[in-house]
Amino acid sequence: MSSSNSQRSIDKSALATIIGIVLLFSTAIIVTLISPRHLDPSWTEPSSSYQQQMFEVADPNFFISVSSDQEKQFVHRLQAGYTLLAFVESPQLRIQAPKELQQYVTREGEPLLLTSRLLLLRHSQEKNSAGDQVEGSLAKVRVLELYDPEKEEAFSLAHSEGVLEDWVDRDFTILDPGVGVSFHRELGVIYVQNPEEYKIRKELGKRGMRWRYDSHGESIASLEELKGHTLGFVSRQQLIRHGEEIYANEGCWYCHSDQTRTLVQDTVLNGSDSYPAPPSSANEYIYQAVTFLSTRRIGPDLSRVGIKRPSRDWHRAHFWSPVTQSKGSLMPPFLHFFDNDPSGVGGRSVALPNYEFESIFQYLMTKGTRITPPTQAWWLGRDPINTLAIIEGRQKSETRALE
Amino acid sequence: MEKEMMTPTSRDRQLVYDDGPVKVMIYPALFFMMIGMAIGVFMAFNTFVIPNYFSGEHINFGRIRPMHVSHVLLLWLLSANVGLFYFMIPRLCGVSLWSPPLAYLSASLWWVALILGIYSFPWGTNVGWEYAELPMWVGFVPIKYLLILSWVMLAVNLFMTVAKRRYEKMYVSLWYAMGTLLWASFTFNLGFHAINYIPEGMTRMNANFFYVHNLVGMIFTPMGVAIAYYFLPKLSGLPIYSHRLSMVGFWSVAFVYAWVGAHHMIHGPASQWLQTTAIIFSIWLFIPVWTVVANLFYTMKGHWDLYVKNPAIRFLIMGNLFYLMTCIQGPLMALRNVNEITSKTDWVIGHSHISLYATFSFFAFAGVYYVIPVITRRPIWSNALSEWHFQMNIWGSIPFLAALWIGGFLQGMQWATWAEGSTYAQFHLKLAQLPFLQTVVDMRPWWLLRGLGGLVILFGNILFAVNMFNTIILQPTPAREVA
Repeated sequence: MSSSNSQRSIDKSALATIIGIVLLFSTAIIVTLISPRHLDPSWTEPSSSYQQQMFEVADPNFFISVSSDQEKQFVHRLQAGYTLLAFVESPQLRIQAPKELQQYVTREGEPLLLTSRLLLLRHSQEKNSAGDQVEGSLAKVRVLELYDPEKEEAFSLAHSEGVLEDWVDRDFTILDPGVGVSFHRELGVIYVQNPEEYKIRKELGKRGMRWRYDSHGESIASLEELKGHTLGFVSRQQLIRHGEEIYANEGCWYCHSDQTRTLVQDTVLNGSDSYPAPPSSANEYIYQAVTFLSTRRIGPDLSRVGIKRPSRDWHRAHFWSPVTQSKGSLMPPFLHFFDNDPSGVGGRSVALPNYEFESIFQYLMTKGTRITPPTQAWWLGRDPINTLAIIEGRQKSETRALE
Repeated sequence: MEKEMMTPTSRDRQLVYDDGPVKVMIYPALFFMMIGMAIGVFMAFNTFVIPNYFSGEHINFGRIRPMHVSHVLLLWLLSANVGLFYFMIPRLCGVSLWSPPLAYLSASLWWVALILGIYSFPWGTNVGWEYAELPMWVGFVPIKYLLILSWVMLAVNLFMTVAKRRYEKMYVSLWYAMGTLLWASFTFNLGFHAINYIPEGMTRMNANFFYVHNLVGMIFTPMGVAIAYYFLPKLSGLPIYSHRLSMVGFWSVAFVYAWVGAHHMIHGPASQWLQTTAIIFSIWLFIPVWTVVANLFYTMKGHWDLYVKNPAIRFLIMGNLFYLMTCIQGPLMALRNVNEITSKTDWVIGHSHISLYATFSFFAFAGVYYVIPVITRRPIWSNALSEWHFQMNIWGSIPFLAALWIGGFLQGMQWATWAEGSTYAQFHLKLAQLPFLQTVVDMRPWWLLRGLGGLVILFGNILFAVNMFNTIILQPTPAREVA
């Protein structure tokens, strides 16, 4: 009898123990796991509308050809009523426009005019002698004609690799604002400047259909054709996502951290020649499925690599043979980021960077480049928390304490 | 209870325990321990001493490192600990395991999922979350779900065993075991599964570090402590010094450990209040640790002659000493000023090895030394080999750990020189004078010492595995009963 009583009381205490464990554990979960994102807005809000537009507007509409037997091609996807375009004259460029499109041309020195109408530039159709003279002169002034292709979607040649996109946040006007989508109402906007249509010429070679860029060729019919088997373009968004997967499964993060800590040495290590890098903020990571703060630095931190090492050529050489580029490095060569020259037409003995390389490169180029708009960039000394003053000021106060 | 612990076999003898589940967990674990440590030694030389002598997509450091970690963490330590649980929990309850078939089912899921998952890493299946690198799927096999399922089966089996126990009072090892089973069920679920469904960015990172620290603090720690509290009295025949002290330790583990995950992000992009909270709780970790350390040392008080005689006891006591060192390091590393130097250096690698290898693996060695003769009814094949095993582990781990700590500390101090000066130009000049890669080059001698220490440890543990293999296979069943 007494035995069964004590048995029961023990089991009561066992139950109380389990309840106690669960209570303590769930308190910790509520405070340390659930509450931070509700208490600290930087865990959820983008760091700037530039960051948001880069990931949500620019990346899905920027396409890169990844076939390894060809020079890299960069293409913007333009959509009527969505993509903002600017047609800007400069000393090197004159834009001719029919009367009804004159209003869309930004003349030299004027505030930027943007439109969400789908218009394109092409080589002037009028072969007049004046134009030829201008082309042939020392100044190399180009003359382009603005026209309405009357399409809902078009593809334009990108003038840069697009690590940083064109951005305007002051002295600009959006014409026909009624049709704009939500991001047009932001304080600043990403836009595409002076789009010329991306055209190709296809040829049936020995090894199947081949193609090359040709400004007098034929237009790309649709997004499906651009992404299809023959052309094989991939959006930068897809490349960045795949790059993140590569970063995970190659184990890059065992040796490279992805955080500039709130320490002077970190802001210096990741800084440019003139300015320290701002410490990483929680909102830099909100567009990542996996985040790699990491716990060890056998190689340097990568959180600002997009500014410190922006060169595709540098990364190509480095992945091929890290120890050649960086003496003393322990990094293994990543030969599987390169294909053997598959068509044999390149005539090069070196291997060519493939899809994997392009993915990891695009992923790395997001690091440190998207915190603020390029007009407010930390590498120009304009970072939002003014890291320079903080680290120099901290040192001064320490010096005072020593005196 | 403490009296009972002194003469444990008198009661155990009344019942024949089914030790099949113990065998299916511990025997493969011993094999994978050798593989895992061999991969570790391979990396120590092939990455850090002669960088990339062997290189290629499938054996690059980044692909091989998770194999080492998962082998020693999951295939060896966690599996061996589960095996020891299958041994000690029925004996502490005085009843046979609730359901051996369930244990076999759990074990088969466990091994299939782990082996498939871990051996897929060279082909690039790492998902990128620390300590949870296993892929969700390999082919049509849902690796992580099988592991969770296997763990839940284990938990049900052991809880049912506890529920129908014959001994009323519950020894402290049972408390720790029950805590582990509960915490782990949640922690595995979070780290393996739920992390894919919570918001992206820092929220996931924070959840991952919560998982990482719970794996160590609320799974390996209570399992290791439960094992030490059970096997030290068994091996020495001495009662545990204080039951009350052990309960203080248990409740402080339950209270403190879940809060400290964010101390992996000190000076990082996590909110300052979260970092401060983690630091405060990290300092409180002194309490659970010191109760365990004191309790185990006081148990040996007046009987230190046993330490010299029995290698298993030596492993427990040395493990306990290393545990003390781990847990002096751990809370200190969480302090902001210490963290500034030690974080992101090899000091961290040293810290993870002293806890998971020099502490909890030592505890598991001691447990295996006790368990194998009991379940096979044969004495250990060679006591001399056991002695060699112990000595090589000690004399291997001292240079191994010292190299990581000293080298890591010096590298951290080198990095700190970039903060010397008062203007950015001066900081930047310091960086130009001592580039990052130079600090990597300066680590080479320490990495060589680490590799050599690791080699000694590996050979010691191969001797251990050989000794256990021979005990199980070679010797004919002796007539005398093994106590």
